[in-house]
Amino acid sequence: MAMQTQEDHGAHATVEAGHEAGPAATHEGTEHAGGHESSGLPQFDFAWWPGQILWFLIIFGIVLIFMRLFAAPKVGGTIEGREDHIAGQIADARRMKDEADAKAQQAIAEMASARAASQKVASDARAKAGAEAAARLAEEEAKLAATSAQAEARIAKARDAAMTHVASIAADTADAIVSRLTGKAVSAAELAKARG
Amino acid sequence: MAEQPAIDPMHQFMVQKLIELPSFQIGGLTFDMSITNSVTSMLAGAALLILFFALTAKGKIVPDRGQAVAEAIYNIVDRTLVTPIIGHHGKPYIPYLLGLFCTIFVLNLMGVVLSIGSLFGLTLTFTVTSQLAITGTLAVLTFFSVFILGFIKHGPKFLTLFWIPGMHPIGSALMVLIEMISYFVRPLTLALRLFGNMMGGHVVLSLFGSFVVALGIVGLSGGLATAAFIPSVLSFAMIVGLTGLELVVALLQAFVFTALATVYLNEVVNFGHGH
Repeated sequence: MAMQTQEDHGAHATVEAGHEAGPAATHEGTEHAGGHESSGLPQFDFAWWPGQILWFLIIFGIVLIFMRLFAAPKVGGTIEGREDHIAGQIADARRMKDEADAKAQQAIAEMASARAASQKVASDARAKAGAEAAARLAEEEAKLAATSAQAEARIAKARDAAMTHVASIAADTADAIVSRLTGKAVSAAELAKARG
Repeated sequence: MAEQPAIDPMHQFMVQKLIELPSFQIGGLTFDMSITNSVTSMLAGAALLILFFALTAKGKIVPDRGQAVAEAIYNIVDRTLVTPIIGHHGKPYIPYLLGLFCTIFVLNLMGVVLSIGSLFGLTLTFTVTSQLAITGTLAVLTFFSVFILGFIKHGPKFLTLFWIPGMHPIGSALMVLIEMISYFVRPLTLALRLFGNMMGGHVVLSLFGSFVVALGIVGLSGGLATAAFIPSVLSFAMIVGLTGLELVVALLQAFVFTALATVYLNEVVNFGHGH
């Protein structure tokens, strides 16, 4: 049919210098066609309007039903679902970060308390060891002091003994020297006087 | 010269019967339900739309390319029009506006992308949105749906839409008249804007297309006439450029129609808040 219209059109185009012949030839079945030949635009050939409009309403209606029932809810739902998903994920991540921060804070606190406890243990041990060492040292020193006191007493006794010996030796020596020089013995009283 | 194709840029807008179907009459109007080139284009456009969304709307969290395009189209209606203009109360009207946008866009686009068919006089393609009957139907349908919705939601109070408070009564009465005229002229402007844009572009494309062929044939006759190849080639360059422009117009007019429908809808949904 289209090709036939084409031929009609081609045949009339040069003769009638217009396109009206084409629709007129094809519109024989429709009653309004003849009355609009003088119209300049094919769009104003009102014979086509009712059928075209009705067809369009049917097809546009189908498209609208499709959009209402499938396309709009599906695509819109997907976009909203994605935004909810992303928002949810961000909220989750934020919550997890908060949790991790709290845990880190807690770990730092625990670390500090553990460090304090270990320092306390170490200082206690150090103090205890120091006290023990001091006690042992004191004990040893006491022992040593006792020993040295005994030794000193012994030495003093020996010196005193030695000193008494020295006096009698000196008297004997002096007696001997005097008796050799003078030829007479010296009495003990004279010796004692001489020593003064 | 008798073999030269006639330059007839209007031929592409002619409705042609492809399959004869019975017609019926209601109130003196003859509904010729035959399958025409217009009907096949509408059917192809609707099929493309349904196929596109059926294949791409997969609901994946991480979208693939097809789904990203479907979501971009949805967001043209939702995020750039409905949400900023109407707000969250506009959500229920998204399916209609999405259907409006997609239908106009796909029919516009088919007219541009497949327009090569009309170059040789063969009607392989047909720009449905260059038919005043169709743009008028869309405009009237949209306008009166919104108007009736206003009465359903707000009752007779909706008529105060035309009343501008705080004016002298005579001035106010005059304004009501002006407001009403500007309101009820809306379907006409909606219909004519889309119709005129789509028809104008296609007429110019068709004219330049005719020049390419006509001047090319003149150029073939040799001699001085060979110079006719120059305007022929220039005309072809014009077609390439204008086709790009028409692609933009196809998207823009679909967007403008939908944007205006959204603005009209906003007056109804947010009635009494915006004044």
